Amino acid sequence: MRWTGKIRFLLLAPAVIWVLAFTVFPLGYSLYLAFYKIEQKVEVKREKEVILDADGKPVLDDNGQPRTKNVVIKEQVNIATFIGLDNFKRLFSDPQVAEAIRVTLLFVLIAVPVELALGFLLAVLFNQHIFGRPVLRTIMILPIFATPLAVGYTFFTIFYEVGGPLAWTGIPFLSNPTWALISVILVDVWQWTPFCFLVFLAALQGVPDELYEAARVDGASALDMLREVMLPLLVPTIIIVLLLRMAEALKLFDIPFALTGGGPGVATQPFSLLAFRTGLRFFDLGYASAMAYALLIVVMIVVTLFFRRLRMNYD
Amino acid sequence: MTDRAPGSKSGWGEVIASLIAVTVALVFAFPIYWAFSQSLRNPIDTYTVAGLGVPWINFTPTLDNWIDQLGTPETGMALYNSTVIAVSAALLALVLGTPAAYAIARFRFARWSNRDITIWFLSQRVLPPVATVIPFYLTMRYLGLLDTKFALVLINATFVLPYVVVILRQTFLDLPIELEEAAMIDGAGHWGAFWRIAVPLAAPSMAAAGLIIFAFTWNEFLFAVSIGSSKAITVPVHIAGAIDTRGVQFWFMGVRAMTAIIPPVIIALIAQRYIVRGLTLGAVRG
Repeated sequence: MRWTGKIRFLLLAPAVIWVLAFTVFPLGYSLYLAFYKIEQKVEVKREKEVILDADGKPVLDDNGQPRTKNVVIKEQVNIATFIGLDNFKRLFSDPQVAEAIRVTLLFVLIAVPVELALGFLLAVLFNQHIFGRPVLRTIMILPIFATPLAVGYTFFTIFYEVGGPLAWTGIPFLSNPTWALISVILVDVWQWTPFCFLVFLAALQGVPDELYEAARVDGASALDMLREVMLPLLVPTIIIVLLLRMAEALKLFDIPFALTGGGPGVATQPFSLLAFRTGLRFFDLGYASAMAYALLIVVMIVVTLFFRRLRMNYD
Repeated sequence: MTDRAPGSKSGWGEVIASLIAVTVALVFAFPIYWAFSQSLRNPIDTYTVAGLGVPWINFTPTLDNWIDQLGTPETGMALYNSTVIAVSAALLALVLGTPAAYAIARFRFARWSNRDITIWFLSQRVLPPVATVIPFYLTMRYLGLLDTKFALVLINATFVLPYVVVILRQTFLDLPIELEEAAMIDGAGHWGAFWRIAVPLAAPSMAAAGLIIFAFTWNEFLFAVSIGSSKAITVPVHIAGAIDTRGVQFWFMGVRAMTAIIPPVIIALIAQRYIVRGLTLGAVRG
């Protein structure tokens, strides 16, 4: 059924070339950077410049020589020194990196399962006869598309410990290192549980009615129905959502940037935020590239698992 | 959408389930409501508002914050920049991605299978952006494109391209191929079949994909904050700037958060039907 006209290459080429230019090239470039120590220096040069008068002719001094003034020229230069694997070695002894890995892993391992479990329960709940379901379902879509940075700052005002709406609990949401991480997780759960919910609900509604009927005739209880009918049918969807969420959660950046600024201290500074600051705030570009590559390798492992699962969907 | 009750028969079970569902929906709506409530408060009321901060009940609402914030040139510039960048990136991604999606859906590629090409496009989406932000920053600095909307259009178009390819590939697969074959029998070439038959039929899907990727670009922050510094500031970067310079002014923060959140959320509501497929990169059909 599939055609083989030569035009297929013309149709495909622009997108392929574009992606190669804007992702493969930068990735190659940052691999190169990862082997260098890059220092940014401002070089100050002083040069003599001839003073010109209004007509553009040099102004002459008493001896008939052109008068000059000193001009300070500031130039930003990058000094790149090849240092082999030193950037990668440094990763293993850097306490900031260890802390960022701890934060990222804790975040992924807590937030993602909570989102999936909550999303699943909500999907089962919403799969019943419920008053005003279309409206409620629509409300649940809002968090997914709300600008993460704006969400982070909004939660900053909600978690505000003096006069915020949750101040009465007396919980140090943002000032205590443990609570700050929990707060970041809570915001992520707020934003992404609805995504899991929506996908699971769509999958549940694809389950044929006969299956429920058959189970009911067999005298299955609600719990049996959940365990024996819904869960097994949803396993493929659950795996896809799990891997998608893990790949996204490993990129965590916006929410801690806005909510905690990575603090208190570095208690909520995930790997992406550390790499960003190292590279584009402290301009240690080589080291930051090595960090980015380390993250890339971890994500690749998750993603390979994901794509092996996903391949079946694209035949 | 078909209603059915797998667990509960009806009656009390239904009432309880509905009550829980309403409560859950209210909890998830609360933060957005809170930002809105804050945007209507006088600075004096910020920390003293009782209860749930309901306008007219807990405090007297004012539009002053909105008027003040929307009147500043920075807000106007950020809204303008974000709109231009998101529209351009969405259009660019559609122009590049639609023919590619059609090629994958309708033609057979021998050396790399169609499946592998699709997966290759998808893999761009899961790249951690922080891995490309530094070389991209340096490249743009070298080209003198730092702090330009153009640079942000280029990078955002790249990141949303996989969505276009995956969503439209499925759309083209769902179209009856007979229409295009009939057109080709009538003398139209492959290009004619694509341009005159397939593209018009896929237009609703293209619009939905365009809306979803507009929202993604609008929300993007890491590249926006790395590339933009004064001229090419987007809405999220504008929000982040508010805290650095003047401390936290909750009442203005409410306005800024709302101006950021409203456009993508409205878009999500318009494109509701495509959201599940779009967000799972086509893996789950909603």
